[in-house]
Amino acid sequence: MPLSLTRRAALGGAAAALASCASQDEPPRSGARPGSGAGLLNSILVIEHTVVAAYGVGIELLRGDALRYARQIERREREHVRTLERLIRDLGAPSARPRTADEYARSFPRLSTADDALRLAEDLEERLVRVYLEALADLPDEGLRTAAARIGADEGAHLAVVGLLRGAPAAPAAFVTGTA
Amino acid sequence: MRTTRRGLIVAGGVAAFPVGARAAPRSDGQVLEELLGLERRLEEAYDAALRRDAVAEGLGRRLLEQEREHARGLELLLNARGRRSPEAFVRDPGLTRGLRDRQAFARYALDLERRAVQAYVAAAAGVGDGGVRERLGAIMASEAQHEVALRDSLGEPLLGV
Repeated sequence: MPLSLTRRAALGGAAAALASCASQDEPPRSGARPGSGAGLLNSILVIEHTVVAAYGVGIELLRGDALRYARQIERREREHVRTLERLIRDLGAPSARPRTADEYARSFPRLSTADDALRLAEDLEERLVRVYLEALADLPDEGLRTAAARIGADEGAHLAVVGLLRGAPAAPAAFVTGTA
Repeated sequence: MRTTRRGLIVAGGVAAFPVGARAAPRSDGQVLEELLGLERRLEEAYDAALRRDAVAEGLGRRLLEQEREHARGLELLLNARGRRSPEAFVRDPGLTRGLRDRQAFARYALDLERRAVQAYVAAAAGVGDGGVRERLGAIMASEAQHEVALRDSLGEPLLGV
């Protein structure tokens, strides 16, 4: 029976999972014009696919409110995936496809308790906040940035919910930068 | 720099955020001033609620302090553009009704925070400077967390619906 993950291990594991996915799931060659934002959106889509997979794994360890909210957040992340796919398609580019569930599971840290699952979720939501804020700075088109902002606000709310489920305040800081 | 975007409209003393309406082009400075007005309204609301015991002390203090930090951040952005922070802001006549009791205040504040998130979404997408957009996004995410905190205080589903 593995020891419960420390925060550091959870962070390291999530970072490793994301790095692994990012390195192996090269965004597809784009048919969109250079600088359209399709490449950046595909990079975010790779992370969203990973987050959906992570909730799928973590949910097996959760019960009660934590399970209910994790399911709701997973559904919302799937909506984000669909939004990103539509935006990328509208830019004339193919969208990044998810890996298999087994491939994702192998890249995640070993989870043995509900708190392990929530720590991983918290770290991944932090990452999502970060990438959407960066997208706000970098995306070239106001319509794309509006979509990124809406999703970024969702991710801030998800982070608050996961924090509450872990016994922390919903709103611990005035500036939610995804770098906590 | 002037860009076209949805903006804040202050109508009848209550900030409204038109959906689908095409607002007049506004400069980045104007957008920041409008956001600052909204932050001051939130600040006023939490401050009044704390004085009237219309919000739990810990939650009210935390949210009040965060709104003040947002306002300070916006003032810095305005100052960097050579603009002075506006002294006056339109008080919300609805606040008095919102101070009846804790539940009324939480609903009032939730509505205000929801409007703030919408305003920051528009601003974080619309202003011309990428660095400023990112900073506004960090406040937007914070206001979204305030919504969750207020729903929690009401015992409502944390993500709404």
